[in-house]
Amino acid sequence: MAFRVLIVDDSSVMRAFIRRIILLSGMDGAEFMEASDGQEALGVLRNEWVDVVLTDINMPTMDGEQLVRSLAADELLKSVPVVIVSTDGTESRMHQMLALGARGYVKKPFLPETLRAELERVLGETYA
Amino acid sequence: MLADAASEVLETMFFTEVLGPALGGEAEPEPRRDVRVAFAGTPSGALTLSVSGPAARTLAGNFLAPEQDDSLPPAQLDGVVCELANMICGSLLSRVETECRFRLSIPELAPANASHAFAPPCQSLDLGEGTIHLWLELDSHAN
Repeated sequence: MAFRVLIVDDSSVMRAFIRRIILLSGMDGAEFMEASDGQEALGVLRNEWVDVVLTDINMPTMDGEQLVRSLAADELLKSVPVVIVSTDGTESRMHQMLALGARGYVKKPFLPETLRAELERVLGETYA
Repeated sequence: MLADAASEVLETMFFTEVLGPALGGEAEPEPRRDVRVAFAGTPSGALTLSVSGPAARTLAGNFLAPEQDDSLPPAQLDGVVCELANMICGSLLSRVETECRFRLSIPELAPANASHAFAPPCQSLDLGEGTIHLWLELDSHAN
């Protein structure tokens, strides 16, 4: 299945790592786009079709929480599934982000199979 | 707890095993890479990480899997060390969750070998190809 992933992280090495892990996990058909903060991600989402967004929380300019809030408030973009990929693994933060509209949460550090499972779950929900 | 957090991150994301505590005293022909991540919450403080040159190259190679390890530019080595510090700090704070939410700052590179000005590290880890030193500072007004 072909799908388009938008990776949002201010760390270019983290974006490269996530790309590598998705490719290594054997998910076929992944096409990648990248943004270094929420503001840049919104720009991509307004111009490109994206199947799933993987975003960090802690970023300059516009963080992941603001990005999720912005998407939830946007009629055209609110259906785009967002999976948080963050070092913040506290229960309170996970519950907050899911309540705001994120569809999944992967805590760093993560195993490659964890990221794959979460992507498959979210993409499965979208295309079921 | 700090060593557990570091080991989890190193083994899960950097595919690198911690062999045990670093014994220290080794000659270091090249500067270490030092990174500081401040955090605010209860408690507030900062984690400082110092990575030896060989360890930084090994970790970056494992993390990014470039065609040739020696092709990684210094900026990518710095980025990988910053990401390592970020993840260790997040993993540590997730283990001491309180009702208060933590906020991590963006990791900042310190001048080369700045960590030498610190007190002895809280933890020193031997990765086989190099070492990692860790300092955890908690603000004095923390509960």
